[in-house]
Amino acid sequence: MRRWAHRTHLAGFLACIAAACGTGNRALPSGGITVTDDAGRAVTLARPARRIVSLLPSFTELLFAMGAGDRLVGRTAWCDYPPAALAVPNVGDGMPPNIEAVAARRPDLVVLYRSAQNAPAASQLERLDIHVVVLDLNQLTDLGRVARILGRLTGRERSADSLGQAMDSVASQPPAPSTYSLAFIVWDNPPIVIGAGSYLDRLAALAGARNVFHDIGSPSAQVSIETIAARDPDFVAVLSDSATQPSFAARPEWRVVRAVRRGRFLLLPGQLFGRPSPRVAQAVRELRNRLNGEGGAP
Amino acid sequence: MKYVALLSVALATVAAGLLLGPASVPAGEFLRSPIVWQLRLPRVVLAYLVGGVLGVTGVALQALVRNPLADPFLLGLSGGAGLGAVVAIALHLPGPWALPLAAFAGAVGAMVLVYRLGLIGGTGGAGGAGGELDPRILLLGGVAVGAFAAAITTALVSLAEATELRNAFLWLWGGFSAASWTTVLVMLVYAPLPLAVIAAAARPLDLLALGEEPAQYLGADVRRLKQLVYLAASLLTAAAVALSGVIGFVGLIVPHVCRLVWGRLHRTLIPTSFLTGGILLAAADTLARTAVAPRELPVGIVTALIGVPLFAFLLRRWTVS
Repeated sequence: MRRWAHRTHLAGFLACIAAACGTGNRALPSGGITVTDDAGRAVTLARPARRIVSLLPSFTELLFAMGAGDRLVGRTAWCDYPPAALAVPNVGDGMPPNIEAVAARRPDLVVLYRSAQNAPAASQLERLDIHVVVLDLNQLTDLGRVARILGRLTGRERSADSLGQAMDSVASQPPAPSTYSLAFIVWDNPPIVIGAGSYLDRLAALAGARNVFHDIGSPSAQVSIETIAARDPDFVAVLSDSATQPSFAARPEWRVVRAVRRGRFLLLPGQLFGRPSPRVAQAVRELRNRLNGEGGAP
Repeated sequence: MKYVALLSVALATVAAGLLLGPASVPAGEFLRSPIVWQLRLPRVVLAYLVGGVLGVTGVALQALVRNPLADPFLLGLSGGAGLGAVVAIALHLPGPWALPLAAFAGAVGAMVLVYRLGLIGGTGGAGGAGGELDPRILLLGGVAVGAFAAAITTALVSLAEATELRNAFLWLWGGFSAASWTTVLVMLVYAPLPLAVIAAAARPLDLLALGEEPAQYLGADVRRLKQLVYLAASLLTAAAVALSGVIGFVGLIVPHVCRLVWGRLHRTLIPTSFLTGGILLAAADTLARTAVAPRELPVGIVTALIGVPLFAFLLRRWTVS
């Protein structure tokens, strides 16, 4: 009985929050904004969103890049770029989000990453009368589309369009002739590498490096050290914010891989390389410079 | 005859593990290839040793707690090892050996806790010499400590950087990616003593199957036996987890398979479980490396995929006859 009373109390509290945020005008006037999101849902706003909670670091970066950063009232704990994002209140995880923490920010739009884990969150937030847009952002080709959708929802179509065009032009570039080969190793035990269905695979191709695991269709896969040794990449790329080689470099079984033995590591900072971001052109440039810099001294 | 068959299957398994792999090694270079010498051979040998150790540990524990469901991980060791590994990753402990050492420490920590819980009637003095291990409390304590450690592990994983620790979970599921001559050497130096302790206890373990009181009347020092066998089995499991993660199922079914084929005497059960456990795990690892190449399967999945049908077949034959 007590527990039940407690629950109704909580529901009442949440209803208050939802009412307070004033997005309840469902009977929408014509002339509102309607977009179809990546989950196939129609998202309709009466006016451009003013209080946005972004639940993926890439979304946060895109919103800042199109000049809508001042509309953010919530971000995930992992949104660390641009530095101004750190001033936005932190609502914790993005997958799955803490619904109460998100609702407490009284957003009029929540940008949610599309994943099975997040599906309940979308319907829960809608029940609180908070608009939710669910978007994919896994590949380089997603960036332009997502930028345009966010641009429409925030009323910043023009800057979003030029941002989207820049992203699309990077995405549609023919891959540079590959001078080097590399393997992205995201974990060492068990060894997990990046396959073709990923942002990083494409990034490497644009920078002039062939991912030796391009034949694996999925974004990442467990492989054996033997396979890595047999594919014999020129470089081993590791997402790492430190300047020192990963600790597996010292392990005897890894030293069968030529690139590991020769210490040919590319240590890529996660902030720039770890997620699809509007700074993709910079990431491509930096990877190319590193390849040529390190490649010059074999 | 059965022994000859077992030995030849063992040799064939090791040979297959050496010959098969995702990389093609030209026949002429086979004996010089670092892929064979530095990767395949240590991996096959380590898989065989860990499989054997898990098999023997399963035999010892099933006899000790007189429960056919006992396996090396039931006593909370995998939970402790997992906690150790996740702490090592969360704290970014440096060095290539940080993870296995932390896992070992976690497993030994869990073992000490469960041992203290299982030791009843003692004064709690040093070494607990006054107490006696109660198999039922040992099981309950193991499950409780394991669940507690798993809860802390999950809490750490859900609070910390997502991808890194998700990968730690993958490590925990077991595999031989980290096999090298160093790890083989660690196992070869470490395992013989606890294995010898268990082998020396073969006769008293037979008596223990009759029940604790009869065993005592027949001259077994039951109290000491249980303590020694428990410690030896736990230390073996801790080392296996530290080197290869939690590979379930081998320690559970290998003893049963061997009992079905060779009978209940521990004098034969212990060596045959070692050989059979090794065969199962080395074969499973070879399949894991080659079946979906260039990708790799977690070895624990393969042990279950080939172990369960084998076990079901033997069980069926045994219950029919």
